[in-house]
Amino acid sequence: MSAVQQRGSLTQIELAGVTGLSPATVSNIVKELTGAGVLHTSPSTRSGRRALQVTLARNLGLVAGVHFGSRSMRVALADASMRVLADQRMPLAPDHRADTGLQRAALLVAEMVASVDAAPDELLAVGVGVPAPVDVRAGSIATVGMMRGWDGVVVPEVLEAELGAPVTVDNDANLGALAETRFGAAVGHDAVAYLRVSHGVGGGLVLGGRVVHGRAGVAGEIGHVTIDENGPVCRCGNRGCLEMYVGAGVLLSMLSESRGHLTLRDVIARAQEGDPGCRRVLFDAGQHLGVAAANLCNLVDPEIVVVGGQLAEAGEALLGPLRTALEQRTVPSTAGPVQVVASELGSAAEVRGALAVALDLARVSGSLGVSA
Amino acid sequence: MSAPVLSLRGVSKNFGGVRALVDVDVDVREHEVLAVVGDNGAGKSTLAGVIAGAFRPDGGEVLLDGAPVVLDSPAAARTHGIAAVFQQLALVDDLDVVENVFLGQETLRGPFLDEIAMEREAWGLLDQLAATVPSVRQPVRTLSGGQRQVVAVARALLGAPRVLVLDEPTAALGVRQTAEVLNLIEKLRERGHAVVLISHQAGDLQAVADRIVVLRLGRVHGEFSGDTSYEDLLAAMTGAVRPARPGGPARAASGPEPRERRAGGTGAVHR
Repeated sequence: MSAVQQRGSLTQIELAGVTGLSPATVSNIVKELTGAGVLHTSPSTRSGRRALQVTLARNLGLVAGVHFGSRSMRVALADASMRVLADQRMPLAPDHRADTGLQRAALLVAEMVASVDAAPDELLAVGVGVPAPVDVRAGSIATVGMMRGWDGVVVPEVLEAELGAPVTVDNDANLGALAETRFGAAVGHDAVAYLRVSHGVGGGLVLGGRVVHGRAGVAGEIGHVTIDENGPVCRCGNRGCLEMYVGAGVLLSMLSESRGHLTLRDVIARAQEGDPGCRRVLFDAGQHLGVAAANLCNLVDPEIVVVGGQLAEAGEALLGPLRTALEQRTVPSTAGPVQVVASELGSAAEVRGALAVALDLARVSGSLGVSA
Repeated sequence: MSAPVLSLRGVSKNFGGVRALVDVDVDVREHEVLAVVGDNGAGKSTLAGVIAGAFRPDGGEVLLDGAPVVLDSPAAARTHGIAAVFQQLALVDDLDVVENVFLGQETLRGPFLDEIAMEREAWGLLDQLAATVPSVRQPVRTLSGGQRQVVAVARALLGAPRVLVLDEPTAALGVRQTAEVLNLIEKLRERGHAVVLISHQAGDLQAVADRIVVLRLGRVHGEFSGDTSYEDLLAAMTGAVRPARPGGPARAASGPEPRERRAGGTGAVHR
């Protein structure tokens, strides 16, 4: 096993030479491990003779998923069967810039590919999620001013040059929605609404197994549903958006007067310890989310609403008031109220979605040798 | 808002004719990452040295829980619950992780080393840091830069210090290792430590800092909240924006107002 791992790929005869075992023994071991799905064999020739090339099963190729959040980046590598081989998170500065961010992501992917003993050309595709609406066809950020320093950046152009693999980009909440539908809390459901409540607020809709993008990628942007016509002006330029009531910056500034500088995780931890102020902030956030989600449910009537993002770690402190507000505002149905659940994949949802779209891209572009 | 654990009031330090620190006021609180940023020669490492007891200030005082203390050696600082990890991690390459963590402070059982207890505690410390060190019986020579940093931090954590000073922890590290160190700093903060993080890489600082103090030519050139824009920080670092008065807050034309600072004050800072 480790002989194959070290050398990446070698023939059965070479393997016998390296390990000092007899060719027959090696043949038996390889057969057994191939049966177990650990090794992969393919016919080839060596010095004009037929030989069996032995590789680790992951050598079907690797895909990388990159998730840029507002304050952190997460990169994961997976093989063709979506087995995650490496996963790394990195905190980022507020207002991180596209150039340094993408360069760091590219370096991180390259280092992680090296860390699983793979060659750079084994990387088949890369999926990227960013916290802003994305024009998926062009791969560019579709709005102005939502992510400072990222306006008009064509992510695939930059990353493809650095990594030499095709790159696909989507909104992070869309990727989270896809991941929850394929591998998480919403498996087996159709019409899935996903809310991502973290530093910003995003949403994704999956209808018939496909993510809804709309005209230019703004579909599902529940963070910018109007809560108050005369509310404070949001980063998007409109007034009283949901994000101005439940975004992390707003929640934390409500608490900073009495409790100093907190992080979102601090607020959740304190709420669980019973801090009434932190509980109240989460309660109100849940209600606001419920109001916005109710509008969405009245339009789409999804089978399930999945709540993800860091704030979802608060659990029922957030979901309870969300459910109540949602039920009060949706059309009562004989099917009962819509199911509202916390994300199953948690903070990994978006990066898993990025891996999934990368794998889809690898299949479409034919770089993946098998059709899975 | 908790009272500061450690405060520097009017601290100055000269090296010959060089005024490395001039009348510096800094507060360090528990459960908070205080970042100190500045250009080369701004006095960052001198400040780390003063907090960690490596340098004795020429003027001003150091207050621990509001009471003046004299930190005349790193050992004295340690007994007061202040530990530091300097840029040169001071690890012994040929010793393994456990030996490095306990170097000079070995656990004894009778006349012998208590290897089992030390190994258990080393694992405990590394687990708290969510560290990815493969084995504690590996010589640290074989570890990556980020993992070595983790070992150095684990050693500093021995004896549960309240204040932890990290001097340039991400210098000369790859992206992946930098990511590990930044995650580690978040972890330390979550565990309630007061972390003083010193670096010239403003981007890395901003990723984890609650407050940022900008030093320039030995003086405090402004104190900012962690979410201040990079431009405002850069302006303060390079001297493009001057503090309103010596030692007072820098006021950028636009941008969020820096957090409160009372120039030359000796009392607690009010919020």
